[in-house]
Amino acid sequence: MSVLNRKLLRDAMHAWGLLATISAIMALGIMCFIYMRSSYFNLLLAQNQYYAQGRMADFWVDLKKAPRGEFLELLDIPGVTEIQPRIQFAATVDLENVRKPLNGLVISLPDRRREIINDIVLRRGSYFTEERHNQVVVNDAFARARDIHPGDTVHLLLNNRRQELVVVGTAISCEFVYLLPPGGLAPDPQHFGVFYLKESFAEEVFDFDGAANQAVGRLAVQWRDQPDALLADIERTLEPHGVTNVTALKNQPSNRFISDEIQGLGTFSTIMPAIFLTVGALVLNVLMMRLVDQQRVVIGTLKALGYGNVEIFAHFLKLGLIVGLIGAGLGEVLGYFMATWVTAIYRRFYEFPALENYVYPGVYLTGFAISFTCALVGCVTGCRRAVKLRPADAMRTATPAKGGAIWLERIRWLWRQLSFGWRMALRGLFRNRRRTAVGLFSSMTGAALLMSGLMMMQAARYLIDFQYDYILRSDIDLTFKNEVGREALLEARHLPGVDHAEPLLAVSCTFIHGPYQRKGNVLGLQPQARLTVPRDIDGVALRVPETGLMMSRKLAELLHAEPGDLITMRPTRGLQKAVRVPLLKVSEEFLGMSVYADITYLSRLISEEFAVSGVQLEVTPEPDIQTAFYRELKRLPVVQAVNAREDVIHNLEETVLKVQDTFIGLLILFAGVIFFGSVLNASLINLAERRREVATLRVLGYTERQIGGFFLRESAVVNLCGTLLGLPLGYFLAYLVSVSYDTEMFRFPVVSPPFVWVVTVVTGVGFGLLAHLVVERQIRRMNWLEALQVKE
Amino acid sequence: MSEGLPASAASTFTDKPAVLSLRGVGKTFQMGEVAVEVLRDITLDIRDGEFLVMVGPSGSGKSTILNILGGMDQPTVGQVAYLDQDLTTASNAELNQYRREGVGFVFQFYNLVPTLTAFENVLVSTEIARDPLDVDDVLGKVGLADRKHHFPSQLSGGEQQRVAIARALAKNPRLLLCDEPTGALDFETGKKVLRLLVDVNREMGKTVLVITHNVAIAAVADRVVHLRSGEIVQLEENDTPVPPEEVVW
Repeated sequence: MSVLNRKLLRDAMHAWGLLATISAIMALGIMCFIYMRSSYFNLLLAQNQYYAQGRMADFWVDLKKAPRGEFLELLDIPGVTEIQPRIQFAATVDLENVRKPLNGLVISLPDRRREIINDIVLRRGSYFTEERHNQVVVNDAFARARDIHPGDTVHLLLNNRRQELVVVGTAISCEFVYLLPPGGLAPDPQHFGVFYLKESFAEEVFDFDGAANQAVGRLAVQWRDQPDALLADIERTLEPHGVTNVTALKNQPSNRFISDEIQGLGTFSTIMPAIFLTVGALVLNVLMMRLVDQQRVVIGTLKALGYGNVEIFAHFLKLGLIVGLIGAGLGEVLGYFMATWVTAIYRRFYEFPALENYVYPGVYLTGFAISFTCALVGCVTGCRRAVKLRPADAMRTATPAKGGAIWLERIRWLWRQLSFGWRMALRGLFRNRRRTAVGLFSSMTGAALLMSGLMMMQAARYLIDFQYDYILRSDIDLTFKNEVGREALLEARHLPGVDHAEPLLAVSCTFIHGPYQRKGNVLGLQPQARLTVPRDIDGVALRVPETGLMMSRKLAELLHAEPGDLITMRPTRGLQKAVRVPLLKVSEEFLGMSVYADITYLSRLISEEFAVSGVQLEVTPEPDIQTAFYRELKRLPVVQAVNAREDVIHNLEETVLKVQDTFIGLLILFAGVIFFGSVLNASLINLAERRREVATLRVLGYTERQIGGFFLRESAVVNLCGTLLGLPLGYFLAYLVSVSYDTEMFRFPVVSPPFVWVVTVVTGVGFGLLAHLVVERQIRRMNWLEALQVKE
Repeated sequence: MSEGLPASAASTFTDKPAVLSLRGVGKTFQMGEVAVEVLRDITLDIRDGEFLVMVGPSGSGKSTILNILGGMDQPTVGQVAYLDQDLTTASNAELNQYRREGVGFVFQFYNLVPTLTAFENVLVSTEIARDPLDVDDVLGKVGLADRKHHFPSQLSGGEQQRVAIARALAKNPRLLLCDEPTGALDFETGKKVLRLLVDVNREMGKTVLVITHNVAIAAVADRVVHLRSGEIVQLEENDTPVPPEEVVW
């Protein structure tokens, strides 16, 4: 090894603490890059392979009922290459060892295995056999959650009859990679499953001989990205059969969730590393400038000895290479483990045949390249300073730092109030502008990162609270198969333990306003309903108007409608008679796009006197009575789905929120590294530059604590100001996320309770103080007698 | 000692070729709005193999001359030549080459790299030299063979200066430029260092230029240049140089 390289290694070891903190910041950036990019490719690869393997549909059409032959007419539309009619119904599941009725989705599959669209992948057991007609294949997650195995029997309420089904296998399907229960936010395998029945059996139990109520289809390649026009054609063709929904792949909930996640990973794999690497490069820059200043005589000597600019430049650049190497090496190893861990978390939510973490050489090489580039960029100014240093100047003692008054001193009355320590700290800050600026930027970034992360966490909690505490307040929601009369409500009121019951009428409609149209549901509520309470943006309850509609903000925006406008509403069932109704109020909601109306008014709009499609219940919490209540419920044939609020909330807490909390914990740690690293660097450099000053103060009788206080003042001002600047920036970032997630499925509220601000500031200050402890230790360990004698 | 003539006066080394020659060299520093002239019309030849001492008080321009002679700084006016090479018009790369091969520097405060051992500090200069001497030999010559693995902080001032001299010597330059080589040392150690420089001059045939404010040191030189306020005020020949051991200050 050349002697200069030996010097370099020793220099690096000498400054190991500083280099380690910078490398740690860089490593975090590279770790984020590696794990996000790897997860991105892991998911993308799994998705592409699975969609190809399972022959994922390009569209879904739901309607009331149509002969199979009618569906096949869609093949006449140029661009539609394949169509596959099937039967799909919601059903309640009665498991013997489970008190509550559970929800299920029943889908028909060909009796004999053949290549189909949305083909299943068997996990356990087998496909249907000739043996029995009541065979069922259960989706694997539900089977796992409820300990169901091939050979077991399950009972489903199908078309008002309790049917015993024999489980032959468990399977996953590409259309349910992220299996959401109706209206849910997260997969809930404890309470929702998919049940694949033999086509012949489904036709028999649902009285659908030769008919279907759903079709899945595939499009020619050129239509896949722009299917809207074709889907409109498809809807027109099947309109006489009462089309309730046409869903393109891009809007299919499972696909939408995964694709959004993949896209999010793609975006964040650029943003997050950029944040860490920028901070890392800036802090490195400050360190390099200091190092070059500190070594000016050495540089001068080397030049006097005949070392050229290229050699000097390369020498200091190598220090950047060391940081880059450590950052990349550490970051890549951490990134690999993080990617493995994150991919395992994804496996909990996404049901793929295989979702593994792979090592993508391109990603890892890019990680190395990015790390090196950033480290080198961070070094370049320092190296240039070393090159520019003329040997003769380098030998001369450096000109003393500028010692003039700072602008703050012109505000005399303020300056006079300040103690000696504060004056020294402020002068230091203003004289080392670059270092101060980098410190401010680092703390600001750390705070912004933390603030936005905490706000997003709060947003998810707020969203759940808003939805399940403010808007939906019932304990149990029952959904009926069809619209029924008032008697169903009365029956529900007489179920054991029911304290209060309110009727609901959901009518799926097409809303049209000028050139804009959207499909959705109108929810009919009784006057002064207290189990579904629409709210405005501030959470204030809104009364449903006696006539006209109240619409969620998102839908109103999509329709370009405002209160006072007339909306054309065409129900997709019944007579499908279009009516023009006024939009009277706009409500706020973060899940879906609800429209509310008075139940009597809505009944009349669909030409009924009083129709009910579900009821909401308040049920006594007494366990024995609840058991009786559920026992009765399992016997009610009219019920299609049962949703218990506490299950939904519990599931969200156990899944989405728990994972989110883990990530927030990591985020706090990451932000902490930035705070800690930047404060430590600035302070230690400051200390190194002012060794003689510290020694002089010691001679004058200042204690270590008092001297530490001078340094603390400087770092605290930078740290606190940076953190405070980061708060609005973090708020703005969270706002940007909320704007970019403003979809039809869900929206992220922008919420910032005091907790968020306090935690951000406390974390910033806390990690800053932690770094200061290291500085204090350095002050205590400093040999100040030696420092006094050192020739500067 | 005889009263010398200014500038290009005759000397015992006149038959030797000039290693370095300065012609009408001046240097002005711009300090803010004030121009400070630190060297004025310096004309001097440094002959091959001579031991030249340049004395003058602080601010007389000694270090500036040394920097110019060492290719570390350029004069504002005048010409400097190393053998046939004009250093005033040389590019940075050429100056670098000159520093690398032509001259060796010895500094008042030694300027050793603190993170390298004595041996490695010498290695720093041999690694880039074209025709270096053996590092062990050189360290032996300066009497540090048994201290070669010590870091500067573990060496005394005299030892550090000897490492610095070894470092300057090891690349086998024609010329040694020494800036107050005894300035930071005590009397006895200073004399030992001076002895070493004399030996380097006498035994190895290197041209040695020492700049100092210490007039007593001039006694060991072949020629002495007196500087004051940026000008050569006197140039004296010394036909009977005194051994360093006899010098007193």
